[in-house]
Amino acid sequence: MALTETRPDSDATVSQVAPASTTLDSLLATGDHKVIGRLWIGAGSLFLLASLVLAAVAALETTDLGGFQIMEDAGQFVQVWSLGREALLFAGLAPIMVGLATFLTPLQVGSSSIAFPRGAAAAFWTWLVATILFVIAYVDNGGPGGGRLDSVVLWTVSLGAMVGAIVWALVCVATTILGARVPGMSLERVPVSAWAFCVFSLVGIFGLPVLMGELLLGYLDTKYGYLPTSTDRLSLLSIGNSASLAPALYWIAIPTLGLAVEAIGVHTGRAIRFHRSVMAAIGLFGILAFGADLLSFSGRGRDFSFDNGLLVFALLVAILPALATLALAGDSLKAGSPKLRSPLIGALAAGLLTVLGVVVGALGTIDPIIGFIEDVSGNDINASSALVLNGTAFHEGLRALVTGAAVVGAIAALQHWGHKIWGRSLSEGLGLLAVFAAAVGTLAWGIGGVGAGFLEAPLLMVDSDVKDGVELLNLVSVAGVVLLAAAAAITVVNVLGAFAGRGSSVEPWTGLTLEWATDSPPARSNFASMPIVHSATPLADASSTEKDPA
Amino acid sequence: MDSTTIDRTPFDAIPSQLPAPTPARPRLLFIATGLVSAAVAMGFSGLVGIYVESRHDLRATGETWLPRGVEIPLTQPNMMAFTLVFSALTMFWAVTSLKNDDRNNTSIALSMSVMFGFAFVAQTAYLLTIMNLPIRGDEFGRPPLFFAVIGSHLVIMLAAVVYAIVMWLRTLGGEYSAKDLEGLRGAALFWYVAVALYLVLWYAIYITK
Repeated sequence: MALTETRPDSDATVSQVAPASTTLDSLLATGDHKVIGRLWIGAGSLFLLASLVLAAVAALETTDLGGFQIMEDAGQFVQVWSLGREALLFAGLAPIMVGLATFLTPLQVGSSSIAFPRGAAAAFWTWLVATILFVIAYVDNGGPGGGRLDSVVLWTVSLGAMVGAIVWALVCVATTILGARVPGMSLERVPVSAWAFCVFSLVGIFGLPVLMGELLLGYLDTKYGYLPTSTDRLSLLSIGNSASLAPALYWIAIPTLGLAVEAIGVHTGRAIRFHRSVMAAIGLFGILAFGADLLSFSGRGRDFSFDNGLLVFALLVAILPALATLALAGDSLKAGSPKLRSPLIGALAAGLLTVLGVVVGALGTIDPIIGFIEDVSGNDINASSALVLNGTAFHEGLRALVTGAAVVGAIAALQHWGHKIWGRSLSEGLGLLAVFAAAVGTLAWGIGGVGAGFLEAPLLMVDSDVKDGVELLNLVSVAGVVLLAAAAAITVVNVLGAFAGRGSSVEPWTGLTLEWATDSPPARSNFASMPIVHSATPLADASSTEKDPA
Repeated sequence: MDSTTIDRTPFDAIPSQLPAPTPARPRLLFIATGLVSAAVAMGFSGLVGIYVESRHDLRATGETWLPRGVEIPLTQPNMMAFTLVFSALTMFWAVTSLKNDDRNNTSIALSMSVMFGFAFVAQTAYLLTIMNLPIRGDEFGRPPLFFAVIGSHLVIMLAAVVYAIVMWLRTLGGEYSAKDLEGLRGAALFWYVAVALYLVLWYAIYITK
């Protein structure tokens, strides 16, 4: 028998022609949380911009209520409005928050990777495919009230898959924070923004599956002919209410509070003193957003109403933790030396807008409280009908304030961590412009909606008799959404500039949490050696040890 | 005692210059399973909540909840409940056996759990055929609710069976032992949640009808 002792030449040939890893390969097959985080942020930003353009188009239609100027009929208006509403939350804002959490939290807790890296990647790709199908379903007349049955079915399936993928991504984030922290970092030493992402993830993991259940029922009702006409299918609109009405909507504002506190700490040069109190406040805010919504759905989907004791309680009490978070962070503003950069201005604006949104949300409880007093006392108070805000455009204004605050917070976060994410600083001028446009836009959109609500304008203003002044307020709303869309566009341009390597490669500022202890952008395994943590500000400990080794 | 110095070099098996060992990875799979179980329980509870509320609303109008001609026998649901309770016990047996590094008993217990799981799936399928509940043609939209609640639990149970089989194979491959049985514990946790959810379904749908 002949023995071949030398390696055949073909092996060398194979190794020589083995294809090098391409950019597409590295994107599709990556398990690196930094790449996955960037993908979420990039895709989410583009969908956010598109959803705001749709919201602007829908708002523009309501500036002249004499007839349809842009849309063909009421059905088309409802579909555009609904697509904008759902895309803003599940294709834009939530993915950006998930992206920030996926990128940042492993770094902040000192982990070399995210928990279940391949699962985290699968969540992104599932969400992306589902989002594309979701858009196709709407384009093919398949949203709530849609005329094509198969496309309406596709809408329920694709939206369910989007929400499911987000839930799975949140499981990866929460598991990383709960289980992959570096030794020495107890849960109470986790950075405030990581804690906010943890609360955001847990509230999403517990709350979003209920929405998936409603979508399952919507799928069966549609598929098996219980909603035979497009008018019947309008009832599917209420499914989206489960996530778009307060207090469930506050879910998207949870990271905003954490990001605001984190940015205030860094840009005042003064770490947050009341770390645990801030964590407790953010946790309570999350519990109120989640707990109240458990009982808020009625039958198949939730109606536009706050007429529920637990909802009223949550809407009123939610003001306290939101206000407390900002007040406790204000100590750093007072004691430190604030530098008026775009992240700090954006963080403050986002925090204040969130508080404003929550305060406005509490106004929605006036009508149920009056009703309760009338029931108990047996007397008719004869309150103004303007105070009956349930089912009016008030909900649109409230949604604008809370989601707009989250947009401002996301822009501030990208300005704050932009260098860490892309290795290049984002333009400060463009950042200030985006923050300013987003904050003013949010205020205008919110004021327009809430004001129209007090003028008793219905939520969906189609073929409606409305009071004088509503069209003017709708115009204010349009200006607000356009400004918000412009802010999103400016941010996309800013990020693309950094991505193209235009900004400075020198780290513009540094913080006291672990993500600042590594390179920008971080190496594949995040840290050269395992960080040592003794407090909530590990980098401050490290510098004091260097100064005083004894 | 003489003052001869003892050379300790041979006893220093671990040189002091070596870095500290990397700490063991915490129980990520178990934590994630807990979170997924919570998500699954929330989604299922939401469906049961909608079911109970719809039933209450319809009965308030004087209608009967079960559509005419539909019957839900108790024999199959009760047998299914017993099957799953037994499967929870065998799953507990599997975890306890692996804790004691008793692989034979672990395999026997897991095979019984998986068998009970498949038996449950088969019984559910049979029950659906004898309930005589067509999914179309009901004026109040009741069948989608029945199928959503029962069907989603069926999917949860199938996922629990697949999870248990994967962890069984990994245990056979030597990945899990008495020192580290995180995967099997995760599968057991998900199994217990699936069993608990069936007991909710059993009472809310099959018993109260």
